[in-house]
Amino acid sequence: MQHPPVWLIAPAIVAFAAAPAYAVQYLNIEQAQKQFFPQADSFASSPLELTAEQKAFVEKVAGVRMRYAKQPVWKVLDNGKPVGWVVQDEVFGKHEFITYAVALDTAGTVLGVEILDYRETHGREIRNANWRAQFNGKKHGAPLRLDNDIQNISGATLSCKHISEGVRRILALHEAALK
Amino acid sequence: MNRAAASPQHDHTLTRARPLLGTLVEISVRGASTHALNTAIEQAFAAVERIQTLMSYHDLTSDVSRLNRSGTTGITVDPHTWFVLDTARTLAAVSNGLFDISIAPELVRAGYLPQHTDFASADAAANWRHIELLPDHRVRLSRPMHIDLGGIAKGYAVDCAILALQDAGMQAGRVNAGGDLRVFGEAAETIHVRHPGAATQLLPLCQLREGAVATSAPYYSQRQVNGCVASPLINAATRQPCTDTRSVSVLADCCMLADALTKVVFAAPTRAIAVLQHFAAHAAVIDADPRLPAQYRVRLSEPTGWRDALQTEPEAVAA
Repeated sequence: MQHPPVWLIAPAIVAFAAAPAYAVQYLNIEQAQKQFFPQADSFASSPLELTAEQKAFVEKVAGVRMRYAKQPVWKVLDNGKPVGWVVQDEVFGKHEFITYAVALDTAGTVLGVEILDYRETHGREIRNANWRAQFNGKKHGAPLRLDNDIQNISGATLSCKHISEGVRRILALHEAALK
Repeated sequence: MNRAAASPQHDHTLTRARPLLGTLVEISVRGASTHALNTAIEQAFAAVERIQTLMSYHDLTSDVSRLNRSGTTGITVDPHTWFVLDTARTLAAVSNGLFDISIAPELVRAGYLPQHTDFASADAAANWRHIELLPDHRVRLSRPMHIDLGGIAKGYAVDCAILALQDAGMQAGRVNAGGDLRVFGEAAETIHVRHPGAATQLLPLCQLREGAVATSAPYYSQRQVNGCVASPLINAATRQPCTDTRSVSVLADCCMLADALTKVVFAAPTRAIAVLQHFAAHAAVIDADPRLPAQYRVRLSEPTGWRDALQTEPEAVAA
């Protein structure tokens, strides 16, 4: 193990240098589609708009509330034949906002889950322009930058409970409207 | 990215994240071609999934569930599982029970693990001493008990993913499983931790080149159960949840040790000093100190005696 003895962070600096939010984009939806189905020749956008009955069915089966009736969905075609679905979804946690995509085969089996975007917010504060303004003009070389520089966070476990619930909801959605 | 400019053959990087191990697992690699990076990342995620399948408490077919169901019969487990059990035993012996994988019943009671009705009923007096590791990857519980590898297997999964990246010929890489983090490569990377009093704020912790950091803190997981504070961080010696609001980060050669040692430091910071020394590990404890004004409420304290290194004058910062 090689970690230079740079435990030289004075507490006061630490408190002031704290960053307000962390954001990273892993994949855009097109890249995710290609990664899930490298052989496929087209991804036909087929957004789902659930009827009240379908929405009620999904909520009952999945045991989670549907925040929107509309869901971005792509039908995956290989040689004109349907081979599966890609569904995009978002979840909001206590501090985080996660966009992810789920790949399903035509029978509704999960083939993969990829995180597209991960963004942390600090609720009220991040929406408050004055609060954000205090970080304007921070120069390169500041102890902490607010861009993608911050990559290594050894934080305590952030539960992905919301994603598990989201995937469960997407499976119910397949049952209700994509079969 | 000066290093990338100096070695253009290595200037591809790729970062992906998937929900695994009950958290988000992020894997980042640096290497020669995007195709090779993709393959390496797939292999690393496969390694994580393999460990999850073997060691999940939730999964009824995992080695852990098979063992919890076995009573005192004894079963054969995967070599990976046997190795983690062996490390857990060493940690328990060195820490004199501050680390103990037999705390599953406490976690079930607090609602952090599911109740499995088909497990053999656990002997309340059983502990790590009643796990017998036998030749040919056999394990026998001399008293029926319920084990949970949640305090160590996540770190081990990170180690396996790092090994997969190295086996795939990558020059540098990073695996972060919700705070259990390990890096390798030429360049040192700055590691940040979350502010224990404001989890979305990040504090720089150290520079790390080859090694692991794991952080445990209750800020995302602590909750109230029947009017009492519940936490998945259990003091194995007292069997009580740790109710502190501090965060504990441990640096070690491998992530499995770093992960497990956070629990030892959390349970007993003073007794942990000798345990950390035994494994050549270091720890940082960050307190949200209520005596300080709000902006200054971060206090670094430490069980390993490097406070002297922290005597830098605070920089003047414009409010």
